[in-house]
Amino acid sequence: MSELDAAIQTFVQEADELLAEMELALLGLEDNPDDSESINSVFRAMHTIKGSSGLFGFDSIVAFAHEAETVLDQVRRGQRVIDGTLISTLLNCKDHTSKLIEHCLTEAEQELSQELKLTGESLIKQLGGATTKQESMPVEADSKRGSSETSETEGDTNGNDWVILLEFGPDALRNGMDPLSFIRYLKTLGDIVDILTSAPDLPIGEAMDPESCYLHFKIVFRGNTDKQGIESVFEFAEDDCEIRIIPPHSQIEHYLSLLAEPSDEDDAQVERLGEMLINIGALTPKEVAKALQRQSEDKAESPEQAKPIGEILVEQQSAEQPVVEQALKKQQSVKQKIAAEANYIRVDSEKLGKLINLVGELVISGAAMRMMVDRHGLSDVEEVAVSMNDLVSEIRDTALELRMVAIGETFSRFRRVVRDVSNELNKQIELKITGGETELDKTVVEKINDPLTHLIRNSLDHGIEMPEQRRAAGKPEQGTVHLNAYHDSGHIVIQIADDGAGLNDEKIRTKAIANGLITADQVLTKQEVFDLIFEAGLSTKDEASNLSGRGVGMDVVRRNIEALRGSVSLDSEPGQGTTVTINLPLTLAIIDGFMVEAEQECYIIPLSMVEECVEMSPEECEFDEIQHYVNLRGEVMPYLRLGDYFNNRKQHSNIHRESMVVVRFGQTKVGFVVDKLHGEHQTVIKPLGKVFEQLKGISGATVLGSGDVALILDVQGLVQFATRDKSRASIGLAG
Amino acid sequence: MSNLVVKGKSGQELAAGSADQFQQYLTFLVGKDNFAIGILDVKEIIEISNITRVPMTPDYIRGVINLRGNVVPVIDLSARLDRHPSEITKRSCIVLVEVETHGESQVIGMLVDQVNEILDIPQANIQPPPDFGADIRTEFIQAMGRVDDNFIILLAINRILSIDELSQLQHVVKSQNNASQTDSSELA
Amino acid sequence: MAIQVSEKNGITIIAIQDDMTIYTASEQKARLSKYLHSGRELQINLAGVSEMDSAGLQLLLWLKQEASRHAIKLSLVRHSQAVVEVLELLNLTGHFGDPVVISANWNAA
Repeated sequence: MSELDAAIQTFVQEADELLAEMELALLGLEDNPDDSESINSVFRAMHTIKGSSGLFGFDSIVAFAHEAETVLDQVRRGQRVIDGTLISTLLNCKDHTSKLIEHCLTEAEQELSQELKLTGESLIKQLGGATTKQESMPVEADSKRGSSETSETEGDTNGNDWVILLEFGPDALRNGMDPLSFIRYLKTLGDIVDILTSAPDLPIGEAMDPESCYLHFKIVFRGNTDKQGIESVFEFAEDDCEIRIIPPHSQIEHYLSLLAEPSDEDDAQVERLGEMLINIGALTPKEVAKALQRQSEDKAESPEQAKPIGEILVEQQSAEQPVVEQALKKQQSVKQKIAAEANYIRVDSEKLGKLINLVGELVISGAAMRMMVDRHGLSDVEEVAVSMNDLVSEIRDTALELRMVAIGETFSRFRRVVRDVSNELNKQIELKITGGETELDKTVVEKINDPLTHLIRNSLDHGIEMPEQRRAAGKPEQGTVHLNAYHDSGHIVIQIADDGAGLNDEKIRTKAIANGLITADQVLTKQEVFDLIFEAGLSTKDEASNLSGRGVGMDVVRRNIEALRGSVSLDSEPGQGTTVTINLPLTLAIIDGFMVEAEQECYIIPLSMVEECVEMSPEECEFDEIQHYVNLRGEVMPYLRLGDYFNNRKQHSNIHRESMVVVRFGQTKVGFVVDKLHGEHQTVIKPLGKVFEQLKGISGATVLGSGDVALILDVQGLVQFATRDKSRASIGLAG
Repeated sequence: MSNLVVKGKSGQELAAGSADQFQQYLTFLVGKDNFAIGILDVKEIIEISNITRVPMTPDYIRGVINLRGNVVPVIDLSARLDRHPSEITKRSCIVLVEVETHGESQVIGMLVDQVNEILDIPQANIQPPPDFGADIRTEFIQAMGRVDDNFIILLAINRILSIDELSQLQHVVKSQNNASQTDSSELA
Repeated sequence: MAIQVSEKNGITIIAIQDDMTIYTASEQKARLSKYLHSGRELQINLAGVSEMDSAGLQLLLWLKQEASRHAIKLSLVRHSQAVVEVLELLNLTGHFGDPVVISANWNAA
């Protein structure tokens, strides 16, 4: 990868993140249009993307982002009100920007497609069109915001005027300063609205020294300049004159708004309070220097009583209380942000993948070493081997944790989907998110997005009813889709629940019979009927909407989830709603496994699913060989003889005693009958590759310490098989 | 491989490839027959190691092995050519080849009974496969190579090890109609 | 001499015929302070002041202060352009409370 490619890669990643942030912020603005933090976030996204795109010469992005940025700047300055229409337009702008980025990456040399061009133009029109509309009623907008611009044109009396306090020292005249000349000069910069000349300390009688200066001036000044500019007028007098420049009220607001702005993210650093105030123009370097001097003087006098610089600045009237407070607040937040950033390092996920692979190898080598130690009976080495083994486990867990991310971000993305779809369908739908902090492997997160999208769309489209229908059914007009996540025995469980119409199991049954999925006389449990949803070619909605008519059915959802060694199930209550539950392994790399042996082959069962191991003895359990039931201490559960199941067993031999591993998946327990139990085994999951893609009952492979390959059991699949077998058996019995 | 013109039926077209160019082939024994594949297809030849059986797969899938930490499937070439599965002997070897499907490459091992030699076969001696007469599926034959007076079958690796075909485990199993295996297919 | 003093109707009229600047302030103060104790009304004719700076202005302020302290009336008359300019600039015309007559030939001067 060339350096440029790498840079572009970074740009794309950053842009993605910014756009995601922008979307969230926009959605937040819908509820809370005055949230300046969100407005800034949206502005920043467009601003930064424009800047970075410029670096790479992506002119189409620059041009478009510029338009959006302009509008956002107006919003930020309070010149334009952000409303639902503008938010929608901006959301579309966000989408368009990502398309432009994609275009620049893939076919940068080519012209923009007609479609992209048109979309861009129409969006710009929408952005601009709204502006003119807004301009026709500026009073409303402005009175709301009280922006500095209007008050200026209206000739606001004091909102805009600087107040300059000059107290000349006694030596001013002798040093050749003439206060008058400074005031004359000031006059060239603007209007002296009012001036109050006084000499409060003018001595009485002969004590007055005509060559000493006793003059004080209080000047109300209006001019298009900043604090620094005003101060420079009195630059030469500064030694002989006490100068205080009090910014106009509007200026204070301006400072506050400047402070409210996020600093440029790249060079974010903790500015000293003084520097910060100088940068926004609220203070001049001289004022700060003076305050600092006073502070150090105070400190020299009584170290305990030295006041913070902010307080001194306020006392000497260099800065205003609210401005200083705001600056302190900002300083704090920048500090926190930097502290947070300092705690994160951006790492190429490929590097992490490599690390995890190496850790995997380490785990295997560790297992090999332990085996050697056992085999050769090296008791003195054993202690070392054991402690090394512990360390390796720890390294493994830590390495895997590196890839863990909270699912919340993935969940939040659906806010947009829910918003757009509910608008499109004229439904009122609220998205509720819980458990966003639940972590899982990034590689899993990436792959879960599509199935989740589909399931949520299903809920929105088919689940939640139209408001009238809901009202008629005695439900609140606003429907709810609830996304939830939590950890359960080495798995992450993701639930998508809606309070919609629910599924009609009769309808599914009829459809399944019509499609030949089941026969008319087949007796199915409710759960089994719902499972049919995930079969190919079953849709209960008669007309396909443009949302779900995207060629992806629930069968694809199931296939995607199963490809992640996960499972999906559905539960529904007519009129109450539907809940889809997805079960996923936390990681795709390394698990704690339990090794068993059946007919000379070793198999790994994910330890998190193992409930218990039982030596098979007639006292403890009782087998029903016909119906494949085992009665374990009064608990009846189906069982599976692995050797038989995998068809490895040539003949049924009862030479050695068998064992049973009880596994649990969800609520279901099943016994696996095996020849031998080998115990816990750190299992590095190796993909079996495309050749075995369609193999059932096996989810992967691992390399043992001996160098041999052992297969990892797909417990879910086997449990499902065993329980189906059971129900089939019971039906057979009944029939 | 690029200048190896094998698809053409006319001898002229074959001769058009520069006749004095040699192509190297690895020859090996499956049962009693000699077969060859282009040396450029061969990634590595390894001694037989412990092959882990994978349940519920057709006979020609011998199992999986650990190749330096990666799990690699091994195809029983004899069974794949519709013969009896190979018996493992001291001379048995696994020839590793890389197969591309849908842009992804996958390493697959082929179990052969014995690896013989590397042969130079001039372009001129390469002939199209016979339309009939061979005891293996014609689509598995890429060409015939003449060495002295004997013909040696050059195997079409991409057909024999077609991932798309190999991964259709269930169909094959189903077609065998074994009672217990029918159960497993219902699981799908 | 830079200051001419005359009397008319019991009012002491002091005409300053010089710049009122830092250079002249000391001397002018010394000269003028005497009249503050005379108990008579003072009229200061500023027509001859061609230049005035802060020191000069300050002197006027002092005179005004001292006069009111001694309860004598002090007025400024016949302001020159230079004086008016300063008083206007500093918004002090009201402070002295004297009518300012703008002379026609200022601009020409």
